Amino acid sequence: MILIKCPYCGERDQSEFTSGGEAHVVRPKNPDSLSDKDWGEYVFYRNNPKGIFYERWVHSHGCKKWFNAVRNTSTDQILKVYKVNEKRPDFSDFENTLKSPSGEPSVGSGNFAVKK
Amino acid sequence: MSAINNNCEYISKKQIKITFDGKTYQAYEGDTIASALLRNNIRLVGRSFKYHRPRGIYTCGIEEPNALVQIISEHNEPNTRATIKRVYDGMEITSQNRWPSLRYDFGAINNILSPIFSAGFYYKTFMGPKGFWKNIYEPLIRRSAGLGKPPKNFRSKSTHQYHNTDVVIIGGGLSGLVAAKKFINTKYKVLLIEQDSYLGGILKNSNKVKTINGLIPQEWISETEEQIFNSKNITILKNTLVTTYNFTNHLIALEDKCAGKKIDLNKPELTLHKIRTSNTIIANGHIERFISFRNNDLPGVMLASSFEKYIHRYGVVPEKEPVIFTNNSSSLSLLKTLISLGCKPKAYVDSRKKDNIETEIKKILKEKDILFFSDAEIEGCDGNKKVETITIRQGKTFSKIKSPMLCVSGGYNPDIHLFTQSKGLVKWDKNILSFKPDTPFQKTITLGSTSGNYNFKKLCDEINEKLSILKTKKVLLDINLNVPNKFSIKELWETKKKRISRWSKSFIDLHNDVTTKDLRQAITEGFDRIEHLKRYTTNSMGTDQGKISSINSLAIVSKMLKKEISEVGTTTYRPPYAPLSFAAIAGRSTYEFYDPERKTSIHSWHLKNNAIFEDVGQWKRPWYFKTYENETMHQAVQRESKMLRENAGILDGSTLGKIEIKGRDALEFVNLMYTNAFSKMKPMTSRYAMMLGEDGMIKDDGIICKISDQHFIATTTSSGAPKVLADMEEYLQTEWPHLQVYLNSITEQFSTFNISGPKTREIMMKVFPDIDFSNDAFPFMTFKNFDYKETKIRIMRASFTGELGYEIYITPKFGLDLWEEIFSCGKEFNLIPYGTETMHLLRAEKGYIVIGQETDGTVTPIDLNYNWMIGKNKKDFIGKRSLSRPDTSREDRKQLVGLSPINKKDIIEEGQHIVELNELPKKITNPIKYLGHVSSGYHSPNLNHSIGLAMIRGGKNLLGQKFFVTATGKTKNIPVEIVNPVFIDPENKRLTS
Repeated sequence: MILIKCPYCGERDQSEFTSGGEAHVVRPKNPDSLSDKDWGEYVFYRNNPKGIFYERWVHSHGCKKWFNAVRNTSTDQILKVYKVNEKRPDFSDFENTLKSPSGEPSVGSGNFAVKK
Repeated sequence: MSAINNNCEYISKKQIKITFDGKTYQAYEGDTIASALLRNNIRLVGRSFKYHRPRGIYTCGIEEPNALVQIISEHNEPNTRATIKRVYDGMEITSQNRWPSLRYDFGAINNILSPIFSAGFYYKTFMGPKGFWKNIYEPLIRRSAGLGKPPKNFRSKSTHQYHNTDVVIIGGGLSGLVAAKKFINTKYKVLLIEQDSYLGGILKNSNKVKTINGLIPQEWISETEEQIFNSKNITILKNTLVTTYNFTNHLIALEDKCAGKKIDLNKPELTLHKIRTSNTIIANGHIERFISFRNNDLPGVMLASSFEKYIHRYGVVPEKEPVIFTNNSSSLSLLKTLISLGCKPKAYVDSRKKDNIETEIKKILKEKDILFFSDAEIEGCDGNKKVETITIRQGKTFSKIKSPMLCVSGGYNPDIHLFTQSKGLVKWDKNILSFKPDTPFQKTITLGSTSGNYNFKKLCDEINEKLSILKTKKVLLDINLNVPNKFSIKELWETKKKRISRWSKSFIDLHNDVTTKDLRQAITEGFDRIEHLKRYTTNSMGTDQGKISSINSLAIVSKMLKKEISEVGTTTYRPPYAPLSFAAIAGRSTYEFYDPERKTSIHSWHLKNNAIFEDVGQWKRPWYFKTYENETMHQAVQRESKMLRENAGILDGSTLGKIEIKGRDALEFVNLMYTNAFSKMKPMTSRYAMMLGEDGMIKDDGIICKISDQHFIATTTSSGAPKVLADMEEYLQTEWPHLQVYLNSITEQFSTFNISGPKTREIMMKVFPDIDFSNDAFPFMTFKNFDYKETKIRIMRASFTGELGYEIYITPKFGLDLWEEIFSCGKEFNLIPYGTETMHLLRAEKGYIVIGQETDGTVTPIDLNYNWMIGKNKKDFIGKRSLSRPDTSREDRKQLVGLSPINKKDIIEEGQHIVELNELPKKITNPIKYLGHVSSGYHSPNLNHSIGLAMIRGGKNLLGQKFFVTATGKTKNIPVEIVNPVFIDPENKRLTS
């Protein structure tokens, strides 16, 4: 269970929050003008990277506010939390953070607890 | 040869009685089950998991693989480790996995059959024929393999406790105490957690330390504990085991509140501590490992340091003349302890070369004239349910020695379990032949033997240095030892067998009965990855998680694969560290506390009137009302449904979700959220509306009441209300923050009654004589506000039954009064209360859908023929674009139709399939063409035959056609006709009457 810093309430336990999937997926202004493929991508397609991920959270058992967070999915570290109307932080801001707990490859999983 | 008592201050002199397998034994208060049994010379305590081999007490702590017992006096608690469970007067204990008795166990035949039970036996043997697994193999295996029986009549009163601290010190042994000393009277909030009921660890478990700062260990422990206790910033938790180390320094620890006490039924027996900390100090020591040799599982074989722990910690010498077998320097401590008590080991077997063995050991052995074998090993031991003879190999010569106990030491493993749970990296250390912590991932510090430091003299420097990142005091330690300071060990994991017997085994996992031969076989069969090997052989998968053996198996496997151990790697260490009771995890969230129950303001009336309740979300809703003792649900529902269509009925609809939508842009928002067009809707009218997902599928439905363009009230399904509100909030905050709209849940602010039936108007006129209920003054789908007594009410003309109907909204405070008033007025019109089942039947007769019954997340409004609900001229609403996706435009989508049986006596069951065959083949070989499923099926008392709603492929074009519906337990199908789903009043004459 991780700790998440709600930008409105402060640091709280993960159990107070609900994840809302990938952030910065904007609902198209004129859905009717979109091709089936483009609309389908908006509705069904989401990124699922191992590593740095921009995602949405809602403080569902608290202030009920939505906000964005940058999380490293392989270390579960939350690198930045920002409000919905704030600017998306640059990817390069996080490039120097720890890639994984045990230095495993960028794709796949497994047990790499032993240092060679 | 029998056990003797040693003077020991951790055990009280108070004698108590316990029973084991029906026999009564004397024990001391403070004993564990294991120490009490050893005191009474009981060495055989259980049977093994697979082969039912006799097993004894192997260790003296959490790592125990063998001595698992069932506590009858604690609601039959199974698989309790005898080595940590403390006894109390009157405790009833039985052994496990044996029949008819521990000494004569029928299942021991598995040992004779063991050549066929090798690695992967289950996977290879129990393959077919079909159905055999479920009916024959699984019950058989479950009966013969396994451990204790499940507890009975158990209601836990465990609690949870939360902590937020700066520092957690795991382990109150020497390192933990020194670390805690450094935090005395500092600004840090510290939690010191110890699994035993006494602090001191190695100091009280062994003879290794002579003095600390001039004090004997016991005095030093008391002095230190007092200092820590008096320091206000440090809390000590005893009898508490840290089981889990999660991300962001979140720890879970289990406290046994009843250690050594009879369970008090009125008090919590366990407390689960959930701890958030900034720094974690792991000082939980090391675990001794065993060595694999022939019959290394016989009762009487015990780890050397455990043997010593029984002497110092529990005051019992399990045996006066054991044989000691070691590959390292640590066993000197045991040797010296035994000598000091006037005991004399039968032999001392050391696998190290004579030159490498400490001179002090050699000196004692010579002085006391003890048989000494250097550069030697135990070949195996033999005996009937206990160790009798021990065979020693030295070079090419074999010697046999008679002794009932054999103490084994294969070296020490730093207890890295918690450290690896925290995602820290470990590294192989050639000096101690084990893994030790290397790079922490979180704010984790390991101290003492956990960090691989077996040198007492270097301990103080290590602690001072590692804790220098925190503002702590410098501590000085002057330790005098009884043992050599330098740790020396020779690699030895398994000894060579002299002869091969099918019944003698060399075990690598005592708990799950895995032998070294199984490891070899698995590798030969290609399971050469350690994680695969573990699962194929079940090695280290028992409740002890291979605490004394997993490193040994890695070493043996690496030898077989001709690889370095660090290349083979470890298996994943997962929480919990030791078995964690479900009762502790559940805490107080059990039975009525598991989930809140929500009750309407009319609940007491429902109870008085024999309502049978149904759970809808958290709500308790009347399902049906019993009018006499033996009335069945079917009878009640048929009666209610018929009475309502003839007279009138009333339903408590308070559970329906209600959301208030207010603000400048409320109209625009409602237009975006729901499919319908709301712009032209007049104020004080209402409309049945649908909410879709962005994929075009129906999410929820309800009635939208428009008070003005800036004020709407939306009703939702009873269980969907929280989700609908959350979804609306989400869109408002994330997609349309420019809209000025405020949402509020008002579900519990109103009691809602749905009253319907042909006599409803007469009843309403009697209850509210001042209101004009005529069709002109109060048309269908309109609502009005009225003053009623000292409050206000809202009445809406709406119906979910297809009859003339009204919905009344009133504050819950007056809900019950009004409900009773309606009943007293409705009596002469035969008004009945009805439940959700009748509501479902009546709406099915009318072809109205229910979310979650006709819809399942794959249904669009078009599939339901509800095209009229879609505001086609609206530019946008959630899901609109998806209604013209290629998939949602398919002609052969499942669509809503009605089903009417051709033979009117046939019953259409909910959930059955619709097929083209009038009869199913006896044996189905090829798939049968499936057209759809029955989503609702009821016997209609008003039509006097069964009806169904169904979702059928291309159903809209199949009206009038004949198909078949499958039936439970029959191969003969029911012929049905596809009809319009509206069975009653298709012209809506009743509805608008």
